[in-house]
Amino acid sequence: MEWEILLENVLNALAAGITIGCIYGLMCVGLSLIFGIMRVVNFAQGDLLMLGAYAAFYLVAAWGVLAFLGPEVAPFAGAILAGPIVFAVGWLLHRWIVARVSGLRTVASLDEGHFGQLIVTLGIALILQNGGLILFGSMPRAVRTPLSSSAWMVETGIGDATIFLNKARVISGLAAILVVVALYWLLERTRLGKALRAAADNPTAATYMGIDVDRAHRIAFALGSGITAVAGGLVASYLSFTPFMGLDFVVIMYAGVVLGGMGSLLGAFWGGLTIGFVQQISALVLPPQLQNAAIFVVFLLIVVLRPQGLFGRSAERA
Amino acid sequence: MTTDSTTTTATTRRGALALGLGAAVATATGGFRRARAQNPSEVKVAILSPMSGPWARQGILARMGGELAVDEVNSAGGIRSLGGAKVKLVIYDAGENAERAKNAAQRMIAQEPDLVGGAGAWLSSFTLAVSEVTERAELPWLTLSYADSITERGFRYIFQSSPTSAAQARATLPTILQLAERATGRRPRRLAMIADNTAAPQGIVKPIREGEAQKYGLTIVVDETFTPPLSDATPLIQRVRSARPDFLLLLSTAVPDDKLLVEKLNEYGLGQGRLPTIGNGGHWGAPELAQVTNPQILEGMMFTLSNWPGKGLEDLNRRFVERTGEPWMGHDSLIPYANIKILCEAMERAASADRRKVAEAIRSLDIQNEGPALLFPSRRLKYDERGRLMHAEMVTCQWRGGVPQVVFPESIATMQALWPRS
Repeated sequence: MEWEILLENVLNALAAGITIGCIYGLMCVGLSLIFGIMRVVNFAQGDLLMLGAYAAFYLVAAWGVLAFLGPEVAPFAGAILAGPIVFAVGWLLHRWIVARVSGLRTVASLDEGHFGQLIVTLGIALILQNGGLILFGSMPRAVRTPLSSSAWMVETGIGDATIFLNKARVISGLAAILVVVALYWLLERTRLGKALRAAADNPTAATYMGIDVDRAHRIAFALGSGITAVAGGLVASYLSFTPFMGLDFVVIMYAGVVLGGMGSLLGAFWGGLTIGFVQQISALVLPPQLQNAAIFVVFLLIVVLRPQGLFGRSAERA
Repeated sequence: MTTDSTTTTATTRRGALALGLGAAVATATGGFRRARAQNPSEVKVAILSPMSGPWARQGILARMGGELAVDEVNSAGGIRSLGGAKVKLVIYDAGENAERAKNAAQRMIAQEPDLVGGAGAWLSSFTLAVSEVTERAELPWLTLSYADSITERGFRYIFQSSPTSAAQARATLPTILQLAERATGRRPRRLAMIADNTAAPQGIVKPIREGEAQKYGLTIVVDETFTPPLSDATPLIQRVRSARPDFLLLLSTAVPDDKLLVEKLNEYGLGQGRLPTIGNGGHWGAPELAQVTNPQILEGMMFTLSNWPGKGLEDLNRRFVERTGEPWMGHDSLIPYANIKILCEAMERAASADRRKVAEAIRSLDIQNEGPALLFPSRRLKYDERGRLMHAEMVTCQWRGGVPQVVFPESIATMQALWPRS
């Protein structure tokens, strides 16, 4: 009996860790893309995630544009569509604000524009949070679906031990993997991807080769925003949120990106996955209130033992 | 000498004249001032609660309650003993942390020198900070916050209109056991507790852990504490499933965690009343909880709290719904409503807009079955020397048909509690 309980606990923690980890991975990829290509530490990334959640909410619940798809499909379609919407927001943010403190114009500066970037992205974060409060209100929202409170139950065959696979999270996890695969294909197999990588490796040389580095950066910023927004839309299918939700995720995103290796896309995904995994597995042996402490213990261990992160810059950059 | 004498006399006469004139002017002005103080055309009361930041929703609900109270008092003729003075409500934003709340209180005191009293702050930590400022200004302040420490500092101008955390902790188990026994005829034996690590839930679980459970013959089979916000409730609910308790105390403090916990219970086949589950706090009855999750899975969920509009307050609930468009009036609006009504009652009795006299009037209130006393489950309104509401009773509600209904105490219950028999 004790073994059955232990087995069930371990298997369910694994299942939850993997599904949540995939979504964390996706949000980390968005941040990593911006950092890897532009070298901009974006403190507003959590708030772009929030915009994605609200975009999905308005598409599915408030305006009901996607309601015809039904409560099982609409939340995930809304999450995917949140991507292009926040892509446009990211594009505009870069065009009017971020471009002024990043890109070629800051290459020659002493701090490479990092101080300006820090203050600007922090300012954007505050504007998005409080602007969100004015626009969306303070009431918690969620993209309601019956899938978030139901599970596929897998019998293990060992006594009563059952694995509960939360339907909303499994679908969200799969959607996150698909988006990462699509992004990887875009970066590795297309001309645009090649331009983005060139702009990341050496912006000056890329300019001599005829690549519009500013445009490449704009696309990277918008793409990173859009990808994180998709993650926000997926989170909205099982969590409720307010305009301040970004604060809860931005630390996870940074930890994931550093864990995986700054600038590495796949590393960021694995970093996010590791965080989800550690968060759940640690609760088996530690009190649940130490879940987040466990993440940072692992984080510190990796930083000490492998400072370049799991995948490091040398393995892959953007 | 004569000259001197004359001068002196003349000076004396002039002085007397001047003194007389001065006295006359002073009397007239002072009298006028006093007359104004006694019969102002307007008296100001404040609501200071979070209107921005993560707790903005609760502050907005408090404002709705306060505005309704003020409108009702004004449409009934204002403060009659002050010549029908109208009540003006001023709103201050406590923001997102105790420091900002304290700054807001200082700003309020500086900008509103004629403020008579106020209510709010919502979070206990905010109320502790705000009441430091209001106490110095001798401003009567009423709050719904639970923390015992609020009224343990020897302050004279703070009044707590809810049972304190310790009182709630003492009342929780007997209330639940009474409901269970009445519904099923048997006493539950196995208790599971999941609480977040903030002050209010810990204030409830600590005494249960330290002897209350044993006193009532309960074995604690799950005792877990988590740090909010939750990213996932799997490890917590998994332990509940493994331990098979008779009932679960689910002491979270925010709607996002409530959603995750009830959905996970449902996912594991323990939701919708199959495992009797009891929460604590107004957020468990908030309309947004039914909007962020499927209301069906809330069915049967119970929660305890300091007040809720039950039997006898149907009309108040209807007025609130009509005015605000909210689906119902909950704890976060009812208590600010009651607090503003208490302030107005105190002004009425004191026949004064002087803060000290109003505070004294609150201290000496002892009302039963009338006025603002009707807004409390005990139908009694009296504060003790520390400023705590005496005879404060805890209310238990249960989600039924998508709406929270009062199931305890019987005096205000709108439905009988459902408790699964298995």
